[in-house]
Amino acid sequence: MLNNFIIASSPLEQFETVNFISFTAPILGDFVISLTNVGLYTLIVLALGLESSYATLHSMVKEQVGSSNEIYVPFIYSLFFFVVLANLVGNVPYSFAFTSSAIVAMGLSVMIFLGVTILGFMRHGIHFFSFFVPAGTPLALVPLLALIELISYFARAFSLGVRLFANIVAGHTLLKILSGFLYPALTSGILLFFVTLLPMAIFIALVGLEIAVSLIQAYVFTILTCSYLKDAIELH
Amino acid sequence: MPQLLPFYFVNQLTFAFVVLMIMVYVFSKYILPMFTELFLTRMYITKL
Repeated sequence: MLNNFIIASSPLEQFETVNFISFTAPILGDFVISLTNVGLYTLIVLALGLESSYATLHSMVKEQVGSSNEIYVPFIYSLFFFVVLANLVGNVPYSFAFTSSAIVAMGLSVMIFLGVTILGFMRHGIHFFSFFVPAGTPLALVPLLALIELISYFARAFSLGVRLFANIVAGHTLLKILSGFLYPALTSGILLFFVTLLPMAIFIALVGLEIAVSLIQAYVFTILTCSYLKDAIELH
Repeated sequence: MPQLLPFYFVNQLTFAFVVLMIMVYVFSKYILPMFTELFLTRMYITKL
């Protein structure tokens, strides 16, 4: 009876890609689209990731902008995922980070600046200008301080975008330059290969840093947007 | 610097804003209400 059972099975079978449902058509060459176990679990991770980040972003908006301004949660949520996914997708080798494009980053920040300013004027009208005169300022200093506050307010439009753009461009440029040195060094003989292992380890650490920078810059972009929204709504 | 070539600005800006607007629409209409309902249901189940 024992010889009717299959006893030996490979421990590597768990790693096979299994097709659940697929669509095949003889168009565009051989068109195949299929849902595999890899694809299913990726979608589950995406759903869990979206769900778990909802609470974080909701509490960020409540804390920064205020509990009565939860109408901004969808915009902040979308903005965060737009920037974080743009940055992370850009970290995949041979892909492209569109936040490294100056006009995209600056376009986002100028759009946020204009939106926040228009919101401020709609809520407070002419009283919005009181934002540029901090409470408790001596009367003699008001012209100078108002000018400095105005310049710093306009600088927000550019600093928000340039921070994102510069971080991503600098990180990717560094990785490109280092990989340009490392690849010839690794492929130029056995001795040089072993000598280059330490710089290679540093390069891998820098890739990890670039992933962290992608996440951090998205978070900083989002939290500063919340802060600018709060300034426009509450004027202090 | 390739990022500063004005020829591509319109294309880059258009794609960025169209994708962002689509994301805002999809998130605010479908995904976020689903999560709000889910968290509210969990609160009702555990607290009430």
